[in-house]
Amino acid sequence: MLEGPNGQGKTNFLEACYLACTLRPLRAQRLAELVNFGADAARVTAQFEMRGGDRAVEIEIAQGRRVARLDGKPLRDPDELFRELAVVAFTPDDLSLVRAGPDLRRRLLDRAVQNRHPAQLSDARDYLRALKSRNELLRQGAPDALREAFDGPLAQVGARIRLRREEILRELSPFAERAFSQVARGEATLALSYQVAGGDLQPIVGESESALSARLAQGLSARLSRDRLRGFTSVGPHADDLSISLGEKPARAFASQGQARAIVLAFKIGEIENLRAQQGRAPLLLLDDVSSELDPERNAFLMRSLAALAGQVLLTTTDADHLVGALRDARGEAGDVRLYQVRAGRIQAG
Amino acid sequence: MSERVHDPIARLAVLLSRLPGVGEKTAQRLAFHILESPKEYARELSQALLALEHDVRLCSRCCNLTAQEPCALCRDPLRDGRLLCVVETVPDLLAIERTREFRGRYHVLHGALSPLDGVGPDRLKIKELLARLSHDGARTESDAAGASSEKIEEIILATDPTVEGEATALYLSRLLKPLGLRITRIAQGLPMGGDLEYADQVTLARAMSGRREL
Ligand SMILES: Nc1ncnc2c1ncn2[C@@H]1O[C@H](COP(=O)(O)OP(=O)(O)OP(=O)(O)O)[C@@H](O)[C@H]1O
Ligand SMILES: [Mg+2]
Ligand SMILES: [Zn+2]
Repeated sequence: MLEGPNGQGKTNFLEACYLACTLRPLRAQRLAELVNFGADAARVTAQFEMRGGDRAVEIEIAQGRRVARLDGKPLRDPDELFRELAVVAFTPDDLSLVRAGPDLRRRLLDRAVQNRHPAQLSDARDYLRALKSRNELLRQGAPDALREAFDGPLAQVGARIRLRREEILRELSPFAERAFSQVARGEATLALSYQVAGGDLQPIVGESESALSARLAQGLSARLSRDRLRGFTSVGPHADDLSISLGEKPARAFASQGQARAIVLAFKIGEIENLRAQQGRAPLLLLDDVSSELDPERNAFLMRSLAALAGQVLLTTTDADHLVGALRDARGEAGDVRLYQVRAGRIQAG
Repeated sequence: MSERVHDPIARLAVLLSRLPGVGEKTAQRLAFHILESPKEYARELSQALLALEHDVRLCSRCCNLTAQEPCALCRDPLRDGRLLCVVETVPDLLAIERTREFRGRYHVLHGALSPLDGVGPDRLKIKELLARLSHDGARTESDAAGASSEKIEEIILATDPTVEGEATALYLSRLLKPLGLRITRIAQGLPMGGDLEYADQVTLARAMSGRREL
């Protein structure tokens, strides 16, 4: 538990932890934002207890580029690291995602996928590159032969990304829906589903990656004239969404603020429980001052869930007494809590 | 103005530090090392550098870098002229050569299609490739010293397994299809987003032998 007043560096610390686990920023849009103002480079070092023993991860960011080392050796294949690590982060930003635009919901889904399929990270990067290339060609009015050459990888990687998203949702939905019924006793039931842009691209049970890839490629050609006019690609996983409904009504439009937060809470708990069910161990959990955003009842539910989680949790708060109290209420004792003070960017035990 | 006279050591260090993987400190150490080496070393080094500029050009046939025309690979009579392997860069060609798995000939595109970097088909050595194929293979390939008349039968697309490399392979496969040749793509043992030049030899050799029809 990291305690400190506002603006002392609590979230920065979680940002560093997330980077060490995923090589990606948690909140920041670009790697360069992680470097201290006025400094040339940033470095994060972390010691992980993994199955093969302790391993040291070191990440350096300079000039917007990232170099990662595992036990001192350059990490050529990030999967080597990701196979061993699962991390779930929960920040106040997440609480708005039910009612916000689809970007945040896709990110929620992709981060959940990444814990199960590390390759999602590089596939997402490839997909984005293929998408930007295609959009650029659309805007230039490039010849068909050239544009079609990029439709190939776009559809291929797009199919892979989409099938993994559908799969993770099948896996974790039951956990999330159950968590929601516990946190929101008696309220409408939660239902999560994958929402595909394009009527002809709806999910087909048991469809193979290559079949979906062919269907996506067809979908791209079918919309060519419209996409050309608009200068961007209208279908594919970048245009899909996570559909959330409460009692058959779209949560985006109808959920109250409290319900919207309970949905996110249920999703995160569902994700954790799914990881535990699939991988036999709990992920590392990063909780950024979420308690202060939840009402006492939902907070108590979160604390009970944390207490039942046999894994490591790093959480930040401006009020440690309050949080320790809530933990104690949840399971009769606070458990193995170690308190650290964060002041002006320094962290001290205490 | 008088301060602008260059210190030769500093000048060399600055130039060396532009090389990939060479920081300022290393550059300075290298500069001093050259200074302290026997005189011939600096002279030979400078001649070698000048030779790069004067003597190295693109092979008119395969677009490999070479000091001779055509390049050694195009002239080698023992290579199988029926197989043509298309690569993005010269380092990729060298990486495939190191596997000793491939005994055909090459064509170097000098890049991959990349709309985000403004690289279209005309910036690559695609015209040269088409010319090579449309001359029926026989005429162009036969005048190589010692090489007998050769007709290309299979084109192996060995561009990188990146978005750009995949797109380039797809583009070429459609472009070349009317010629009626066998067109194959190296196998996907390589992870997408990878780079041929850095792939380990075993992986690359396997990718080469497990190529598939496009
Ligand atoms: N790249 C950066 N270089 C230096 N300082 C930064 C950088 N990015 C953010 N900061 C500053 O670091 C400080 C600590 O930020 P952080 O978000 O970690 O605070 P916090 O302890 O989580 O506060 P709160 O309780 O308000 O969430 C802020 O004042 C922020 O402006
Ligand atoms: Mg904060
Ligand atoms: Zn040649």
